[in-house]
Amino acid sequence: MAAQGNTQKIFPSSHKTVVILDHSPFMSEPCGQTVDFDILPKSRAAPGIIPLAPLAKSLWTCTVEAASEYARVVYDVYPPRSRDKLLKFVITDTEARSLNSWMEEEQSLSNVLQGLAVVGPPSDSDDAENCSVMHGLAMAVESLCEGSEKQLELRASLADPEEPVVNKGRVVCITTVKSQGHIQMLEECMQEAIVQHNKIAEAADKLPITHCELVLIHTVPVGADNNIQDQPNKEVSSLLSCEVHSVHSGRHIAAKLALLVQKHFHLTSTTITGIPMKEEQNASTSANYDVEILHSKDAHIEILKMGYDSSGFACSKDSFGRETVILKWCTPKTNIVELQYCTGAYRITPADVNSRPSSCLTNFLLNGRAVMLEQPRKSGSKVISHMLASHGGEIFLHCLGTGRSPLEDPPSISEGAGGRVTDYRITDYGDFMKENRLMPYPVPQEGHILPKKEATAVLERTTRYWPLVISDTIIFNMASHIDPLPTLITKAALTEDDVLECQKSIYHLVGMESRSEPLPIPAMGTRGKGPKRDEQYRQMWAELDTLLRAHASTSINHQKVLECLQEIRRPAEEAKESSRKAGKKEEVVVKEERVMTEQSTAELAWQEIQRYKAMSERERSDFERGNTNNDHFRHRQQTELSSPPIKKLKTSLEDSQGKQQGGPPSLLAIWTSRIKSKYASRHCEFAGRLTAEGNKAELYVNLQKDSTNGTSDKPSGVKQEKRGP
Amino acid sequence: MPTVILLDLSLSMTRPIVSGDNDFQRKHLAIQGVSTLLDYLAAHNRLEFTALVAFSSLWELVVPFTRDYKELKEGLNRMDDYDKTCIETGLAGVSQIVMDEWGVGLPCQVVLVTDGSPGVGKGSLKESLERFYSSQQHHDDLPTEGEEFPLPFPFPSKLHLVCLATPPEVQGVLGQLQRLVDINGGAGGVYLPEGELNMTTCQALFSKLAETQFPSVTWTLKCGHMSSEVQAVPVVETFKKTYDSGPVVREPSQEMEILGFLDSKDIASPAVISRHLVLPKPTKTEKDVSEGGGGASAEGDGDTAEHDGKAPSFCVLLHGSLKVESMVALVQLGESWYGFLYSWADSKKKSNLMLSVLEPGEDAVSWLGKISQLGPVASSPHNPYGEDDTTSPYPVRHADKRSYAQNTTVWIKPSGLQTDVQKILRNARKLPDKQQTFYKELNRLRKAALSFGFVDLLEGMSAMLERECTLLPGTAHPDAALQLTHAAKELRLAINKDYDDNIAPLQTHFSKSDND
Repeated sequence: MAAQGNTQKIFPSSHKTVVILDHSPFMSEPCGQTVDFDILPKSRAAPGIIPLAPLAKSLWTCTVEAASEYARVVYDVYPPRSRDKLLKFVITDTEARSLNSWMEEEQSLSNVLQGLAVVGPPSDSDDAENCSVMHGLAMAVESLCEGSEKQLELRASLADPEEPVVNKGRVVCITTVKSQGHIQMLEECMQEAIVQHNKIAEAADKLPITHCELVLIHTVPVGADNNIQDQPNKEVSSLLSCEVHSVHSGRHIAAKLALLVQKHFHLTSTTITGIPMKEEQNASTSANYDVEILHSKDAHIEILKMGYDSSGFACSKDSFGRETVILKWCTPKTNIVELQYCTGAYRITPADVNSRPSSCLTNFLLNGRAVMLEQPRKSGSKVISHMLASHGGEIFLHCLGTGRSPLEDPPSISEGAGGRVTDYRITDYGDFMKENRLMPYPVPQEGHILPKKEATAVLERTTRYWPLVISDTIIFNMASHIDPLPTLITKAALTEDDVLECQKSIYHLVGMESRSEPLPIPAMGTRGKGPKRDEQYRQMWAELDTLLRAHASTSINHQKVLECLQEIRRPAEEAKESSRKAGKKEEVVVKEERVMTEQSTAELAWQEIQRYKAMSERERSDFERGNTNNDHFRHRQQTELSSPPIKKLKTSLEDSQGKQQGGPPSLLAIWTSRIKSKYASRHCEFAGRLTAEGNKAELYVNLQKDSTNGTSDKPSGVKQEKRGP
Repeated sequence: MPTVILLDLSLSMTRPIVSGDNDFQRKHLAIQGVSTLLDYLAAHNRLEFTALVAFSSLWELVVPFTRDYKELKEGLNRMDDYDKTCIETGLAGVSQIVMDEWGVGLPCQVVLVTDGSPGVGKGSLKESLERFYSSQQHHDDLPTEGEEFPLPFPFPSKLHLVCLATPPEVQGVLGQLQRLVDINGGAGGVYLPEGELNMTTCQALFSKLAETQFPSVTWTLKCGHMSSEVQAVPVVETFKKTYDSGPVVREPSQEMEILGFLDSKDIASPAVISRHLVLPKPTKTEKDVSEGGGGASAEGDGDTAEHDGKAPSFCVLLHGSLKVESMVALVQLGESWYGFLYSWADSKKKSNLMLSVLEPGEDAVSWLGKISQLGPVASSPHNPYGEDDTTSPYPVRHADKRSYAQNTTVWIKPSGLQTDVQKILRNARKLPDKQQTFYKELNRLRKAALSFGFVDLLEGMSAMLERECTLLPGTAHPDAALQLTHAAKELRLAINKDYDDNIAPLQTHFSKSDND
């Protein structure tokens, strides 16, 4: 049963509609109604001026007007770019001509109107005998056999090319029939045409018609005898159903088509009442107007299913027999920025597009205002059930949720997981969101990635290291010092200038450290007194290292920034180690690098940097390589290493594995280094070794005295230290 | 989604089951089973609403929709015994209760617990179905007189029919029950206890029903390397809809991947198919809460994991920033299926992260354009939001305009034509100042007249312009008379000219001097 329901919904009759307009000489007859077009305003009613005689519209003019209105409504409510509801106009006299195709670009009212202008009104000189609506019917059938873009897409996507694509359609034919027998004949002709064309269609690359609905509209001048009766829809065959509407021309045919367009396209009407509008003559007063709009029936699904409230439902005043739902205008109060819970949004079109109240309302909406609509109720609370708003030049009727929400009274997010954390980086993430806003891009060219994918790629890059809370980060709390590095490093590509900027940021930090400037560590989140300044710097450098490592794989230039950091840090750490050697107590060594004389560290680091900066590229790389080699060499040679090589060893280890590892030192790393430093405390023979390494010894001239002793007496190194100055 | 438990309290439910030493009624089994279901819901779906309805030949709302599972259980203990089974009445009761409470838009689950005795005479299952099918055949789309068959429910729903009976007892009825499910759209099913009828099998049946039909799904909310385990309440349902071009079925992927962000005003209340609270899942270890690519920071490990509230969650951070900035996060939920996250407040104090699910498809929000074509601002040479954040790339404007957004000509009512004619005359009197508007309006009238085959109007308008020329006051600009005569002449000629052949203003030495 469900499957059957589905096939009924696929490509319904409304998908393709052919409108046939009879262009035979008879249609040039006057419609029987005249229109006064020369209205003289009272102020200009000068004596001697006689208004021009009213004009008579022809049957053709009335037909075209009614048909264009039909098309206007369809194209407004179902915009051609959605390719869901297609119209095709066919003109028939001695032959049939089609004004457009099913292609999206030919689906527009202006296109149809232009085509109609080219055709022009029917001429009396045409051979009435050879004019027949049958040409039009035949062309309509032929057109229906042509697949729409969507149908062709579906067919192309089907695994089985033999599987038939549902192909239904509707033919609206406006003509004047001679007799009941004539209708019979047209039905038969249509039936025959479908059968014939389906045969051709199977052979050619076309779609056979599954079912066709013929809507025959018989029109005669107003006041003329009309001996044709309306005929309800009847199935002529399994392929064709037919119905007949008999109407007078003039306003009546327009009213008939206005009704039919609602029926054919699942539309309904809403009248918005009580719209306050300024009077044209007297701008200080305002009167209330009503505007009728047409839209998909789905917009009132709630009202239709729940049953009409006795007061919420009324018949339109137009006496077209149209039912209309009354909704009351609410003076705009709510801010459109506020997200409404909206269960549906449907395009609308005014029933009377160029009346003054209609255009007032549409202009109001097109200017970006929104208006709430409430259901008129005699009693009970106010129910706002709809909202009218425009988006990008199209007006939508939004259906708002009116029922009770099952989401009421939820637990606050602060009661859930992570809810009690108070130092989230809300502002930073806000900035992050603004930087990662989306914008529409044109269709990407062949081979380019979808903009959506690009967006996720950017998010991937920018969140590689993104601490959630303020107390987890130092570098993101010192934007003024570290900028623009954190922004630049997340870019997909870095220019040479960018790399330079990043390096400047790093040097700036080195400078800060050397000047012992306090780091902006937030008091929040730190327990107790918080880490000491040098520990803070250590954490900061570790965090920066993590950040740069996370991005090092992006490009060579990103790698360069990381290298810059590593190169700068290496001599600095080395210096720290050295300064530790200069310490006076054994404890110093045991406590690892925590207790260091800040000044000497900074000085040494600075000297190192100055020297490093002075080096050429080549020298730098040599310097780098030399160091690493040294470490490895020592590692292999001596198991009872002194402390400085241990530190360097760690660095070199990170050099080789760092990219995957990332992050601050692990517990293991801290532990091993601690253990190793304990080891180291039992082997303080470094001083002697340093003298052996020429240039390094130079830096610490004041240590020369100790070192001379040290070299001669390695095992007693500890004692030597103790006895030091 | 809310649940209605519909309990059969007809006399047949009091039939005893001899199992071992205990003497149970079927009613006791039903109550025990429902109790099992309620326990499950209390544990896994605390925020869902449940109502308890009893029926026999009449129906009664025992406990209205509530989250108070204790109250529901108390309601279970208040059950009396009534007369005969009339499932149709019970279903009609459910329909009314749900419509009164939630309207027709919200999906609901209906769990009918019965012993499978179909009832007799009017109101029996057999009679109800017969009546339904005959009404389907005879009045196709006309509403049936009197009481309508309650199925399909006017709201989206799943219908679970739990039949506390052994297969031989309900051989003939099962098919009829299944038909009820089919009429309601096919979601749900008919359930029987496995094996013999006793407390254990009955509880097992309800436990299974609870686990399969009331699952609690864990989603991963992610933004690049930031992620959070979350639960969507209510559960995001599989999407099924038949469009003009065929049926579409989409399964939620259980991963909400953030594509980027938008200002609230830009997304502008689009139509959504459902809304869900997004609640962070309590996490076991800190690693699950957040991972910032390079690994969690060294600080904050260890003891924080013990206190859920204290371990930072990306979900909470996201909510906070969305709230402060009035923004939404666009997320992908499945193949070509999107939604958006935003901060939503039920009351002034409590706010929450909410997920609004859009209809599947790239065109879900017409004013955003195709969603797959939304890309990062960072990749564009020009920031469409401007330096000071005052501009926006939305709404996306489409090339084709609707009739009300352009000057559409409709003359079906005489007033339409009269207004257009008067507009031309008004401008004619203000020539040459209003020359541009005059010709624009004149050409609009000309085009419409040609399209509608209304050539007499061109003649009439031409005559009117000539008359206007004679009525020009002596003080009028000399160019006015020249332009009017020119326009009147051209209008007559237009009958045989091309549609796009616009009437251009006459180049007079006045206009030339104006131009110089």
